[in-house]
Amino acid sequence: MSVISVKHLTKTFKIKEKKKGFSGSISAIFKPIYKEVKAVNDISFEVEEGEIIAFIGPNGAGKSTTIKMLTGILYPDSGEINVLGINPTRERKKLAYEIGTVFGQKEQLWMHLTAYDNFKFFGAIYDITEKETEKRIEELSKLFDLEKFINIPVRNLSLGQRIRCEIVASLIHKPKILFLDEPTIGLDPVVKESIRKLIKKMNKEYRTTIFLTSHDISDIEKLCKRVVIINDGKIVMDDSMSNLKYHYMDKKVIEVKLNTKVNFSNTKGINILKEKENRLRIEIDTKQTDLTTVLKLINPENIMDINISNIPLEEIIAQIYRKG
Amino acid sequence: MRKYIYIYKSELMSTFQYVINILFRLINFILFIFIFMNLWNYIYDNPNELINGYSKTQMIWYVIITEIIWGAIEGRKYCRKIVDDVRGGNIAYMINKPYSYIGYAVSGHLGETTIRIIISMVVGFTMGIIFLKSFPALTAPAVIIVFISGILAVLINLLLITFIGLISFIIEDSNPIFWLYSKMILVLGVLFPIEYFPGILAKIMRYSPIYVTCYGPAKLFVDFSYMSSAEILLSQIIYLGIAWGMCYLIYKKGVKKLNVTGG
Repeated sequence: MSVISVKHLTKTFKIKEKKKGFSGSISAIFKPIYKEVKAVNDISFEVEEGEIIAFIGPNGAGKSTTIKMLTGILYPDSGEINVLGINPTRERKKLAYEIGTVFGQKEQLWMHLTAYDNFKFFGAIYDITEKETEKRIEELSKLFDLEKFINIPVRNLSLGQRIRCEIVASLIHKPKILFLDEPTIGLDPVVKESIRKLIKKMNKEYRTTIFLTSHDISDIEKLCKRVVIINDGKIVMDDSMSNLKYHYMDKKVIEVKLNTKVNFSNTKGINILKEKENRLRIEIDTKQTDLTTVLKLINPENIMDINISNIPLEEIIAQIYRKG
Repeated sequence: MRKYIYIYKSELMSTFQYVINILFRLINFILFIFIFMNLWNYIYDNPNELINGYSKTQMIWYVIITEIIWGAIEGRKYCRKIVDDVRGGNIAYMINKPYSYIGYAVSGHLGETTIRIIISMVVGFTMGIIFLKSFPALTAPAVIIVFISGILAVLINLLLITFIGLISFIIEDSNPIFWLYSKMILVLGVLFPIEYFPGILAKIMRYSPIYVTCYGPAKLFVDFSYMSSAEILLSQIIYLGIAWGMCYLIYKKGVKKLNVTGG
């Protein structure tokens, strides 16, 4: 069952432009010039219930604008949005009871209150009874392991602890969809990993649909089964994570330490990424040249050390961004 | 309503961390009252003399009450917060919560200023009693009416400031409009009652926010009558509705043209 349905969604921003210098500033007062920027350009996609979907793209691609339209913050210029059968533009408040949002760069907790008081506050604003809120806090604090710091003012928590509390605050009202906008930004690798585990656990336990944006490829690789890539306001790829990796399986990276230099200039499908003395890092397009040919060319007796790997997901996505 | 009480309570709880700061900021309030006590002492030759219908004691109590209502709500700070919310895009993150932004802002700021209002009342009344050695003769129902009128005055004031802050949806920065508004309230409302102004101006002022936000409750405190309290309370209720409607309309219009990019 699809919980999010987007059809031909478009959003344009009017941005004020100013000519150079003092005269430009004066003329901008009397004759302002506006430039239209299409932040989201005719995108369509659907999200199934219980899915963890990565919605990614470079800075300024239109990710956050899309999330803001899906959550009713921004009004689209055209197109249709349906989130859990609700039109976010017309019934924003009704939708608010059904979804949760965590913006990694924007805290929603009250800094001077303890995490517990914050959760009580969120329970009240979502019209949950005191008894139900208490029960929910107990349940979530166990799941997210908050017991040790639940009674400490949020301003005194570490960033990792705070993000955990932010996620719990957005789950108090049992949302059916959780929008996570860069939830692991600024966190160290250990905390990132624990947040990812918690997101997975939450998705499994409550079947919460998760709509995730992140620049951290590990977040996407470890959490999502489906990836939607947006660039310049357009969807450039919408595929499963396994397909994404599979399509790029024909590209390999070889890191090799050689006794003597090898000349690859006449070989097709080889791209030298780095060369330093007798160390080499090359990318091979196996559609054009197979690995055996390359290894023969290098000559096994000439090899001191070798490592063959798939190209990192980060690189795959960067390539898609560049193509987009 | 429960959610707004919770917002009020949460902000109130946060303010407990800053009681010392609030006490320091009261120095301004004490100085203000002290200066006007001396000014009116100087103006009134005879303590029983009436100027525009007010005795010296009544005039000083008038200034104490208006200053409690106007000064303690910290309008400039509140307006700046709303302007920042609109200009900085913070408002976008509150839109998708199940509460009204206007209700959130007003109840939150009320929570933030409650302690200051209470302390100002204690200090203002103490100063009045010590220096004037008198307190207006108010019956219990009159005290309740004055109190209600005071609360309505604070609410109307906060809504009008909310409206001014929300003008930032249209003109980028509405802080200068608040500056004009605050100076108008200070000169025409806090310092002198309406009766001090010439005929036409006084008539206009009776329909202005000054009547419901400053003059009304202070007048009832120094010269209570059931007739004038009915008139003032009715005007305040009408103004409350108008101010809420103005905020609602500008907010609704503003949110549609919200321009928040990011990511």
